[in-house]
Amino acid sequence: MSVSSEGGRARFWALLAVLVLVFAATVAACGGDDEGDGEEAAPTDTGAESDGEATGEAIKIGVFANNEGAFAPFEGQTWGGAMLPLINRGATPVSGNSVDGVEGATIAGHPIEIVYGGSDSTPDKAVEEARRLVEQEQVDILVGPLSGSEGIAVAEYSKEQPGVTFVNGISGAQDTTLKVQSPNFFRFHNDGTQWTAGLGNYAYNELGWRNVVTIGDDYDFPYSQIAGFVAEFCSIGGNVTERLWPPLGEEDYSSYITQIPEDVDGFFMGVGGTGTVAFVKQYGQLRGNLADKIMGGIFMTDPVILEELGDQVVGVVTAGMTAADSQEPAYLEYTSQIESAYPDLAGTGSSVFFYGYYTAMEAIAQALEQVEGDLSDDHAAFREALAGLELEAPLGPIRLDENRQAIMDNFLQQIVADETGDGVPDVKTLETIPEVDQTFAGAFSPDTPSPDRENPACEEGTPPPWTDQGGGR
Amino acid sequence: MNRSALTPERALWWGPALVLTLILVIAPLLFSDFYLSQVLTKALWLGIAAASLIFLAAYVGMVSLGQVALYGIAGFTMANLVEADGGSPIAWNPWLATLVGILAAVGAGLFFGAIASRSYGIYFLMITLAVAVLTYYFFGQVTQFSGFGGVNSVERPAIVSNPVTDPVNLFYIALLTSAAVYAFVRYLARTPFGLALQGVRDDPSRMRALGYNVPLLRMLAFGLGALIAAFAGIISVWWNTRISPGSIDLTRTIDVLVIAVIGGLFRLEGAWVGAFAFAALDNWTRGLDVVGQRFNTVIGVIFLVIVLLSPGGLMGIWQSITDFLGRRLAGKPPARPSAGARASDSPQPS
Repeated sequence: MSVSSEGGRARFWALLAVLVLVFAATVAACGGDDEGDGEEAAPTDTGAESDGEATGEAIKIGVFANNEGAFAPFEGQTWGGAMLPLINRGATPVSGNSVDGVEGATIAGHPIEIVYGGSDSTPDKAVEEARRLVEQEQVDILVGPLSGSEGIAVAEYSKEQPGVTFVNGISGAQDTTLKVQSPNFFRFHNDGTQWTAGLGNYAYNELGWRNVVTIGDDYDFPYSQIAGFVAEFCSIGGNVTERLWPPLGEEDYSSYITQIPEDVDGFFMGVGGTGTVAFVKQYGQLRGNLADKIMGGIFMTDPVILEELGDQVVGVVTAGMTAADSQEPAYLEYTSQIESAYPDLAGTGSSVFFYGYYTAMEAIAQALEQVEGDLSDDHAAFREALAGLELEAPLGPIRLDENRQAIMDNFLQQIVADETGDGVPDVKTLETIPEVDQTFAGAFSPDTPSPDRENPACEEGTPPPWTDQGGGR
Repeated sequence: MNRSALTPERALWWGPALVLTLILVIAPLLFSDFYLSQVLTKALWLGIAAASLIFLAAYVGMVSLGQVALYGIAGFTMANLVEADGGSPIAWNPWLATLVGILAAVGAGLFFGAIASRSYGIYFLMITLAVAVLTYYFFGQVTQFSGFGGVNSVERPAIVSNPVTDPVNLFYIALLTSAAVYAFVRYLARTPFGLALQGVRDDPSRMRALGYNVPLLRMLAFGLGALIAAFAGIISVWWNTRISPGSIDLTRTIDVLVIAVIGGLFRLEGAWVGAFAFAALDNWTRGLDVVGQRFNTVIGVIFLVIVLLSPGGLMGIWQSITDFLGRRLAGKPPARPSAGARASDSPQPS
């Protein structure tokens, strides 16, 4: 490339300008880093100048969900959930878009600074982003991640950072708490396995199913979902004849649907967030009405997915940690809070994405209030408060087991025809299964193989306490 | 022109390079652990991956989308052969596993190279894209080797300390490997084999007429590209402590292509320049309050501006500046073709 004319000279200056820009970017990147170091050196001086009652030392909370990849459409819900507890404590949303965060957040007199992060559902990026938030932004508490494989990786990383407290967003792989057992990683919602509690029992005892096929995306979260169904259904005598695993990100499920034998009693579907719609539509085209044949995973009752699928899924039985039809005053208050804070997110309170991030931030806020924002001694008092917290969440109490994993109610639900007049099928709760823990009466322990394509094996065992055989009813 | 003469242009070219190298050598003293690991080390191994692409593009005229898949093969093979959470239960010595991983990538490179060696241009690009997608789904589907959850907590050789708490060793390993790759490719370009490759780049038919086995040369070149990519794969696994199909998906494939293009697809140095710009921008824009969740847009716009203004990427920009200043300093009239000396030892777009 040669500079040979007036035009060329103009081009040269333009190039120089770009170079300066890139150089400035680089310097700023280093500069931002130095700033972080400075804050670390003199943390006590910050925050004092903040207005109002916020007089304590500022607390930095990093929040990250997925802003790229298959789960990016749910980013607004996750952020809404994370911001609501702060808004309930006096913060104001920056805009109608929850992702923009809040202003003026305080907890127990401490100003709260929210740091934005975002991953793409791969474990690599999740850890990279967690590292940026922890090591560069120097957050005290980190809320996230969203997806199953991400959670395991971030929980492993948390062991390297004993000075930071990690609270899971909504990633639901079982191993994250049961196997990794990081002392500073907390999960205030049920995992993918716990979310299926009650389904195996219903299939066997109410619907009379004996032979069942499972189908789920080929990664950690559906492994956990299907593990829960298999463990419960087989423990009371059911038989899982085949497990189908389409790859994550599959959009054409027809070849898998045709593999489901016509003569099975039914099948359990643990397809992930974005595949559910494609799967259900294709099943309808290939096999007709699916409502009497299918049991759905957690995503079937997600408000967004329900709206998309409409009447096709009426009759389907699912289970999960939220109950959209709850009339408990606490839940109604929670939904009206969402409506006033983020009108665009009204009605998504029963989404696990919203609820998971909500319980995470609410637990953090309550624990911080208990210790009055004291994070000294590597968060010792704060973590004790978190571990011992009896969180009165909108849909029932949540407490933690010794692996810092939630024990909470699960809801067995059926999708029913629309009665509220919004054109979207409603969800009717058939049964509340109280205090579901992670072990399923011993089917899962730190020593059992991680849920995967073959595990757990389908064999009779101790029925979980909520099944008929286990004395549940 | 005498090749070794120190013209102002040469001084302008190599002076900053020397300073940058010095800065890199003492980087652990200058930067925080986080910056050292998450920006510099990442840029170095991404740079090696991009260098394998630039080597193929600049010296052999093969723009490949398969380099990420090849480094994935090295990384997955190594991760499966050592003690790790997930993948196969084999637990070999990490060095032996590293060697086997590199050999596996070279083997795969030669194999895919043999398939693709008779294809040119867009067809070659499509075949390598197929390799990328195939490899991604292979490791996603075959749960004995990985599955979508990937292989976690991969054991490292003792010399590779914990990349989070003590990133210095890994930084120097990445730096030395980068230097070795750079020197190797520069050396190779002047050997008869390298000259033959450049002949294949410029005119395959004439090379065939001269008696060269063109498909063989291209296959060997692809194998060499795989060797370079394999180093990136091994270091990336040490750096991440894990590898999953997500580490080698299409997004990463495009990342490496973007790095090579913004760095300068026809200058080997551009690989690391582009990788550094990529890693630093990714890190910096995510932390910007003004930008917030829209950081991807900002990165995209900056890259677009670079490519629009300078088809030669950042290295092209730098070359324009040195050319311009060099002529000014030498007092020559500005209207002159580019300096011949440099054009001869650096590849140009064909």
